[in-house]
Amino acid sequence: MRLISKLGLYVSALGLSSLGLSGLALAAQPKDGSIGFQEAATPVMERLVAFHNGPVMWIITAITIFVLALMIFIMVRFNEKANPVPSKTTHHVALEIAWTILPILILLGMVGPSMKLLYMQDRLPETEMTIKVTGNTWYWSYEYPEMADQVEAFDSLLLEKPDAKAAGKPYLLGTDAPLVVPVNTKVKVLVTSNNNLHSFAVPAFGVKMDAVPGRLNETWFEVLREGTFYGQCSELCGVKHAYMPIEVQAVSKSEFDKWVRNGGAFTTNTAQNSAAAASAAPK
Amino acid sequence: MAGHAVEHDYHLIPPSPWPFLSGCAALIWGLGMVTFFTGLVDRTGDNPMAEFFFARGLDTIQGREGAGGGWIILAVGCAFAAYVMFCWWRDVVREAEAGDHTPVVEIGLRYGMIMFIVQEAMFFVGWFWMFFEAGLFHKFRATWDTNILENAPAYADSMAPGITAIDPWHLPLMNTLVLLLSGTTVTWAHHALIQNDRKSAKWGLILTVALGIFFTFLQGIEYIEAFAHREAGAPWLSTDIYGSAFFLATGFHGFHVLIGTIFLAVCLGLLLKGKFRPEKHFGFEAAAWYWHFVDVVWLFLFAFVYIIFGFSV
Amino acid sequence: MAVIGADDTGYGHDDKPGFFARWFYSTNHKDIGTLYLIFAIFSGIVGGYLSFMMRLELGEPGVQIFEDLHTYNVFVSMHGLIMIFFMVMPAVIGGFGNWFVPIMIGAPDMAFPRMNNLSFWLLPVALICLLISFFVPGSASGNGFGGGWVMYPPLSTTGSPGPSFDFIIIGLLAAGFSSIFGAINFITTILNMRAPGMTIHKMPLFAWSVLVTAALLLLALPVLAAALFMLLTDRIEGGTGFFDPARGGDPEMFQHLFWFFGHPEVYIMILPAFGIVSHVVSTFSKKPIFGYLGMAYAMVAIGVVGFVVWAHHMYTVGMDVNLKAYFLAATLVIAVPTGVKIFSWLATMWGGSIRFTIPMMWAIAFIFLFVIGGVTGVVLANAGIDVALHDTYYVVAHFHYVLSMGAVFGIFCGFTYWFGKMFGVQYNKWLAGAHFWTFFIGVNLIFFPQHFLGMQGMPRRYVDYPEEFAYFNSISTMGAYLTLASVVLFFVWLAEALIVRRKVEDNYWGEGANTLEWTLSSPPPYHQFNQLPVIKDDDGH
Ligand code: HEA
Ligand code: HEA
Ligand code: CUA
Ligand SMILES: [Cu+2]
Repeated sequence: MRLISKLGLYVSALGLSSLGLSGLALAAQPKDGSIGFQEAATPVMERLVAFHNGPVMWIITAITIFVLALMIFIMVRFNEKANPVPSKTTHHVALEIAWTILPILILLGMVGPSMKLLYMQDRLPETEMTIKVTGNTWYWSYEYPEMADQVEAFDSLLLEKPDAKAAGKPYLLGTDAPLVVPVNTKVKVLVTSNNNLHSFAVPAFGVKMDAVPGRLNETWFEVLREGTFYGQCSELCGVKHAYMPIEVQAVSKSEFDKWVRNGGAFTTNTAQNSAAAASAAPK
Repeated sequence: MAGHAVEHDYHLIPPSPWPFLSGCAALIWGLGMVTFFTGLVDRTGDNPMAEFFFARGLDTIQGREGAGGGWIILAVGCAFAAYVMFCWWRDVVREAEAGDHTPVVEIGLRYGMIMFIVQEAMFFVGWFWMFFEAGLFHKFRATWDTNILENAPAYADSMAPGITAIDPWHLPLMNTLVLLLSGTTVTWAHHALIQNDRKSAKWGLILTVALGIFFTFLQGIEYIEAFAHREAGAPWLSTDIYGSAFFLATGFHGFHVLIGTIFLAVCLGLLLKGKFRPEKHFGFEAAAWYWHFVDVVWLFLFAFVYIIFGFSV
Repeated sequence: MAVIGADDTGYGHDDKPGFFARWFYSTNHKDIGTLYLIFAIFSGIVGGYLSFMMRLELGEPGVQIFEDLHTYNVFVSMHGLIMIFFMVMPAVIGGFGNWFVPIMIGAPDMAFPRMNNLSFWLLPVALICLLISFFVPGSASGNGFGGGWVMYPPLSTTGSPGPSFDFIIIGLLAAGFSSIFGAINFITTILNMRAPGMTIHKMPLFAWSVLVTAALLLLALPVLAAALFMLLTDRIEGGTGFFDPARGGDPEMFQHLFWFFGHPEVYIMILPAFGIVSHVVSTFSKKPIFGYLGMAYAMVAIGVVGFVVWAHHMYTVGMDVNLKAYFLAATLVIAVPTGVKIFSWLATMWGGSIRFTIPMMWAIAFIFLFVIGGVTGVVLANAGIDVALHDTYYVVAHFHYVLSMGAVFGIFCGFTYWFGKMFGVQYNKWLAGAHFWTFFIGVNLIFFPQHFLGMQGMPRRYVDYPEEFAYFNSISTMGAYLTLASVVLFFVWLAEALIVRRKVEDNYWGEGANTLEWTLSSPPPYHQFNQLPVIKDDDGH
């Protein structure tokens, strides 16, 4: 019986967590103690979150609870005391067919929307601008190939703890030079690496693309709202794998033009804005 | 045995030192491999003794200064392993003679050999997979914008038209014929043995071993040629992925030919000593199976690695 | 399961060889099995130590222990490798497989007893190589190899030039050959040495599970061996360029080769646990297993499908979208045969007369926790969602639910089930119960919160993390303390049982335990079945 009550406790935690998943997390950065995805900032991530928090999470929670409930029932009903004489049943064709077919049906139901999400994510739409992201040991560098004569390629390094504090950015997420992109613009991202593998990942965008030396990987995003978005290198790349964060600053189109005309310098208000925005972001 | 007498035909083996000693040999061999290929200490000159044994042994072969004994541990490991294997198989042969290999045990040996060959086949699947990937996808990657990706030309070059692959219709064709012929001679030997025609069996086996050695010899010439011309654009294992895949795949095949040849040579020795009977000669059969396997792998190598990719790239 | 014919083998005074010959030159499947179990326990301590240090480091933000950062990566990599190759595999395949497959099929020993011992002795060799690798130069950052258990190049080639990684390659090759020889041995034993009357469709499910596992080993490991050789030659100056883009090579190709092995590998670790759980559930429900054939062929199906889903570990490497779609669909298929197993276990319990013994508690917990791990696997299989979760702690949570809970619960389940049979003595059930409960709560506390960390985006293999991940990490580390205490309890009950020596009878579980091992004495005679048992034709399924 102790086993049962423990298991019961356990599943209620699971159930609660799944319920909580839908309406949580507002920041564009991780938030302590929250248990869902970061809030979506691109159409891809919106769809991803909807698909996960919707059908997928419900299906797996239902299956887990179903198994658990069945198990508890069996333990109560068919323990030695309650049922001293065991039955000898070892076959039940209809049942066996049912528990083969039902999962198949559930999975068939899942495959459709899953494929839709996958193709939406992977098939690049007509993009309006391109950025090239290169992983280095251990920092990222960004280039704007179409604006190469205005915006020089630049490196984006981790802000050490005191500097991060001073800039009002979260340590291990904030960088000295964010990637700047305009909102409501479809951006093509080319990802490659100079040496080890890295992975360019921004959770709020639903973007994660490995940076592989000698290969050019493509992905895309369209940021729907202004703000600062943080990500981290997501493929083991050596000692300082934990120390090459990604900071993306999404600004209005006009602001972006200004930034470009300014030669991509970070002395403009964009940079100041970014600092302000970060400090204002809910912690 | 105490209790009931043994009433089954399985072969219970008394304790044997060879597995444990194989482990010891493997440890020395492994230490030797690392010493030989990477080296455990740097060649600084501070500690000549340690450097002699533990500095990178490959330097010596690659002709860099600082000749040393970095190969010694590896050699000791190999010799130790060879000794243990010899003793182990000597025991097996003795047990066979003592009649321990009852029909049911022999069936087990067959299963074992078949699965060993399956395992070897999967090993080559790895190499062929590598080769096909390189052969089939380099063109796609070569199309990447070189302004953005500096590596793209390397993909193009590695399997580009005009790379001087090895001409399949000279030595490789010869090798194919040699191996196919050896496949027939080993079958000849086998059938002769079944009909208790030991003389033909002996000649069939001698021919097979000779052809095996001849194959290795030809392959050796091919490698030496390739090595000599590597600077002039002939592929070598370090030039590009074609060379890497080519030499490692054919190299591992060559290594298996060597094993097969030794296996057959041992069988020849046993045959000459009067071992093997028409109805009972599984050691010989296993060698023949292995030889056919090596043969088949070569046919795949010849068809794909030499002809198709040697040509069309 | 099979009902045993009248005649049992005799035993009495066994003429065992002397100590050294018995344990070093062994050709006895039970002795070799015991060696494997001792080895697995030792590796479990090493791997557990590594993971505990990792959890200590991650208890709060900032760098606590691993000042040089590199050593953390070394610990992570070695933890993964040691737990998988030196703890789980030796325990379930080498240990329980050796002990009980021959007995269950009514054979006196394995088909190749000497090769069996070679399989064992290659493992200490391999582990020594891995342990040496800790102490020799790995990369510019320090000693040891820090490239993850998956060993992706270029980090494992140009990124780790020192001899450290070469030792790992050699060690894994040795472990690989050990498993290949073991696989050949098991398949031959099972196909060739079943007792008269024991058709393949009467064979106990544990033997089935080892058969399928051995087939997976035989087909998957050689591919890993090829990949490891490629790494080895790539690492040599003037060597090959398989993974070097400057020479037209492709680092991603390694990932394909690795996961072609790696995915079957995860089923290699879980299938024997499935087998063990089947026996335990059936024994303590006092019912024959439900849907025996479906259970057996579900494992075969899992094994077969397991070979065609490998690239679900590679959704973010930049694969063609159609390929991803294929791997997505193929991966989901595995949920179906796995579901058959889960539901058949429940149906076995249904109508039974269930006794909550220690092994039964491990088995019940296994079923439930494996379902949690399995359904998160299904989430990850959706390529679209995986982009958000790949290489985050969600994946860590997923695979610890199936490994640190699935496989390890399976091990403890088998260990407590067969302990008396193997060593002739019984443990104290209160101590063993305390071990179970602390372990159960401990590992859940460690790994359940990691789902949340992963959803929030915390990447794996991070020595330090932003403050925003502090809360659940601290809970996770608290769980690790509890688990540590629990592992101590395990050794307490183990020691207590071996010291107090409560003797057990032949069939100490009584009704329900009816595979062949229960017809033998506890421990079984040095050589069992000198006279082969005959399986009669009247069993339940
Ligand atoms: C014992 C080991 C084990 C097992 C059994 C599994 C089982 C499964 N795994 Fe797991 N996996 C690992 C060990 C394991 N895995 C490891 C070690 C990694 C990480 C490696 C690394 O990167 O280091 C990993 C990673 C991993 C990934 C890659 C994640 C990433 O890196 O991004 C994926 C993606 O598809 C995946 C999927 C699955 C699936 C679908 C199953 C399925 O087999 C699960 C099937 C079971 C169930 C579904 C539950 C029971 C079924 C029912 C009750 C029926 C009804 C259910 C439905 C209809 C859904 N696993
Ligand atoms: C079987 C596999 C296995 C097991 C059991 C465990 C057990 C544990 N793991 Fe492990 N882990 C991995 C396989 C495993 N892990 C792998 C493959 C990785 C990925 C590595 C990589 O990224 O490259 C990983 C990574 C990993 C991480 C992520 C590190 C990172 O990404 O930065 C963490 C962090 O918390 C962690 C923690 C733990 C903890 C606290 C336990 C605890 O549960 C440990 C408690 C101790 C035990 C469970 C041992 C008890 C067993 C015995 C004493 C033997 C008994 C034997 C017999 C009875 C015969 N592990
Ligand atoms: Cu760059 Cu991890
Ligand atoms: Cu997998």
